[in-house]
Amino acid sequence: MKILVIGVGKVGQNIAEHLVKEGHDIVVVDEREEVVRHCCDSLDVMGINGNGANVKVLLEAKAEEADMLIATTASDEINMLCCLIAKRLGTGHVIARIRDPEYHDNLNLLQKELDIDMAVNPERATALEIGRLLRFPFANNIEAFARGKVELVEFSAQPNDAVVGVPISDIGKRSLMPRVLYAAVERNDKCIIPDGNFIIEPGDHVFVAADSVTITAYFSYLGKNTTRVKHVMIMGGGRISYYLAKIIIPMGIHVTIIEVDPVKAAKLSDILPEANVILGDGTDQDILEQEDLKKMDAFVTLSDRDEENLMTGLFATKLGVPKVIVKNNRISYGDVLKTIGLDSMVSPKSITSDSILRYARGAINSEGTKVEYLYRLMNGKAEVLEFTAKASDSYIGIQLKDLTSKTGTIVAVIVRNSKIIIPFGNDHIEPGDRVIVISSITGITDLNEVISK
Amino acid sequence: MNYRMVLRTQGVILMLEALFMSIAAFVSVYYGEPTAVMLFMSTGITFLCGIILWLTIKPKEKTVRAKEGLIVTAIAWILLSLFGSLPFIFSKTYPTATDAIFETISGFTTTGATISTNLEAIPNGIMLWRCITHWIGGMGILALAVALLPTLSGGLNFVLKAESPGPEFSKIRPKTSSSAKLLYVIYIMLTLSEFVALLIAGMSPFDAILHSLSTAGTGGFNNYSDSVAHFNSATIEAIITVFMILFGVNFSLYYAVLLGNVKSLFRSEELRWYLGFYAAGTLIITFLVTGNYNGQFLQAFRYTSFTVAATMSTTGFVTTNFDLWPLAAKAIIVSFMFVGGCAGSTAGGMKVVRIALMIKQSFHEVRHSVQPRRVNSIRFEKRTVDNGILHSVAVFFFTHICLVIIGTLLVSLCGQYDFESNLTAVITCICNVGPGLAKLGPAENFAGYHAFAKYVLAFLMLAGRLEIFPMLALFTSASWKKAN
Repeated sequence: MKILVIGVGKVGQNIAEHLVKEGHDIVVVDEREEVVRHCCDSLDVMGINGNGANVKVLLEAKAEEADMLIATTASDEINMLCCLIAKRLGTGHVIARIRDPEYHDNLNLLQKELDIDMAVNPERATALEIGRLLRFPFANNIEAFARGKVELVEFSAQPNDAVVGVPISDIGKRSLMPRVLYAAVERNDKCIIPDGNFIIEPGDHVFVAADSVTITAYFSYLGKNTTRVKHVMIMGGGRISYYLAKIIIPMGIHVTIIEVDPVKAAKLSDILPEANVILGDGTDQDILEQEDLKKMDAFVTLSDRDEENLMTGLFATKLGVPKVIVKNNRISYGDVLKTIGLDSMVSPKSITSDSILRYARGAINSEGTKVEYLYRLMNGKAEVLEFTAKASDSYIGIQLKDLTSKTGTIVAVIVRNSKIIIPFGNDHIEPGDRVIVISSITGITDLNEVISK
Repeated sequence: MNYRMVLRTQGVILMLEALFMSIAAFVSVYYGEPTAVMLFMSTGITFLCGIILWLTIKPKEKTVRAKEGLIVTAIAWILLSLFGSLPFIFSKTYPTATDAIFETISGFTTTGATISTNLEAIPNGIMLWRCITHWIGGMGILALAVALLPTLSGGLNFVLKAESPGPEFSKIRPKTSSSAKLLYVIYIMLTLSEFVALLIAGMSPFDAILHSLSTAGTGGFNNYSDSVAHFNSATIEAIITVFMILFGVNFSLYYAVLLGNVKSLFRSEELRWYLGFYAAGTLIITFLVTGNYNGQFLQAFRYTSFTVAATMSTTGFVTTNFDLWPLAAKAIIVSFMFVGGCAGSTAGGMKVVRIALMIKQSFHEVRHSVQPRRVNSIRFEKRTVDNGILHSVAVFFFTHICLVIIGTLLVSLCGQYDFESNLTAVITCICNVGPGLAKLGPAENFAGYHAFAKYVLAFLMLAGRLEIFPMLALFTSASWKKAN
């Protein structure tokens, strides 16, 4: 497929890198010459230096032949313009990143009128992610699949957990314990897809998958703290904080936002009447203590600077706040953060790339089983993919234990007629099943690549 | 340095080289020549070494970084040449191994300077191999490798940049491998066109193949001691002239034309400079040399148009002994050696775009010194030229001239011939043209040089073809440091 990426900042470059690996022809466009050159040096792409909203530039990039255009410049307006013009020129799908909440409120109309196939709002997507994390405070990461019916939860194994020190196949034998699928384990920065003989050690980051009810029961059984988060403090009053507050206040959570800019703070208190808005510097420990940070159930750092987020997050962890979520845009630092005790990290850029790649992969695949959902775990070391099984595929009707599956992949969950099935060896796949696969190999676009006769 | 990836790539290149060698070997069999055995032997050895490297070395990391890219190219071409000289060595076509290596490097770098004293005696198979080296070297062996094996391309970005001629590396398609493939398709089509045209003009099939391959790579090897003058046919000379000029044009323009965008030909500023130099050079020299041809203007034009085309495209075919021309005409020819062809073609020299940019820069400097406050940008192809490019072009020019000077000094150390011969020998080699002046003129050859001089000239040929820096990078310790 021929794909144009307009604006190759961190998100654009990340997307281009993944799409190149999957074998597509990529043309990148950016106004900054050094950025384009750097991109062309490190990736097998063609680069054009220019303004993506300029028709001449789009024609030079042969937009009329392009299957997809992804606009990720810093400006919402340029992104929208690029998409509009490209669509008129003949590009197949157009995706725009639109951040401004003003545009976002009219998103549906905008999408319809401007013919934009997908608009990604990084801030809102991040807020949704944080909202999910606040629902299960003990978990490092949660992702939902199959329209919310299946949840994949990541948690850190503690020394006295019941699952530690025992082979996985033995854990399943305990009849009282809710059955979940042990999908993946991250140990020492490596991703392992466990088999029955795998033994979980303390400190491992374990990913388990099951339906929502079973998940809750599982964690209760393990004695994990499932008490709801009632008080949340947010450092920084930007767009993410706004979206987040709007999501969690209706859940009955009490929100305190600390913002250093008086104008912003005033505006926040206007648009979020139920929130407790404090004017002050969130990095100032005195202010944090004054506002009862110790009594908070969760602390979310959402300032503009990654370093401030990290340091304040560390401080809160040391203070004993049960759940600390840190916003960090440097995707490469993810592994380092885990070693210093910050387990929950959100990266708006990762979330944006993931959303866009998800859509792109879905649009790309016309033969084979369609990838409908994509989520990356462990900083990209593993991927969770959701497919719909077709009657014509080779693995239909055969028991899983008789199928060969690619090393490093595992069929995690099968959803059949709204029923969640944690697959055993003698389960099989029927047409129409939604199959969720976890793989440590990237770039899989077809379920037939994972399992075969 | 990612030694493993470097060596593995060499494996592929050697296997490709062996493939082409086998073509020459089979042709040798067709003509019933005893040298066929040596050709097959060389093919076998090259292929064996290639496949051993390919199968035994598994690189841990598949990418070649910028610093390694330069060295990989240099090493690739050196090994290419060493193995490529095997046919000559085994068949004892030339007196010494040094001669064989010189001839091979002259082949791959598309210089065309020969140490053959008796071209007619060389067997057909070997002769074909000589011209094949021109053909491969013109477009580049690494480009061919990437075109045939797309999986290599991801890591070889920097290597291709080093091999392709011109200040900027531009692709005609997003993926490097698609780009290389298309360029080779255009290359093959043009070569075939010349072959057909030459057949129609009356050349024998074997001669036509040799000359097509040689023109395509803008090399200059052929099978007659008097070069193209042998045919004494204005038609053949005209055909070759046209194709020499064609092969000196940026191939991406041909791609644009194929896609239906003929206007790009008229818009190309570099093409205008190229044709402008050609037209001006031909006209001026024709007037200067009319005296040499008994006042016959048309005859003078015939020989001049051929010679200027051969020089600018750096092919180096000869139809007249231009060493007998008046001094002014000879000076223009030598200057044109420096200009060379367009970027993105198979021609050598500094490339028209660099000359054009430097001329513009000079005017810019003059204007700036007269009016310091005036803001002016240097534009080329309707775009402002980045300062980085201007800088690299200037450095390239200076380094080039330095190499010419040092090269002449080194060659002079052998104490042979005279200054004019040695200087033009160096210039013709680094610009990959072929003939020089005086003792290295169109009617002479390089056989008489000392072995040391031959090696210096061979190094210069490689430096010119690879645009200097890859060969110089061999001498910097930074390139050789181990990465892991």
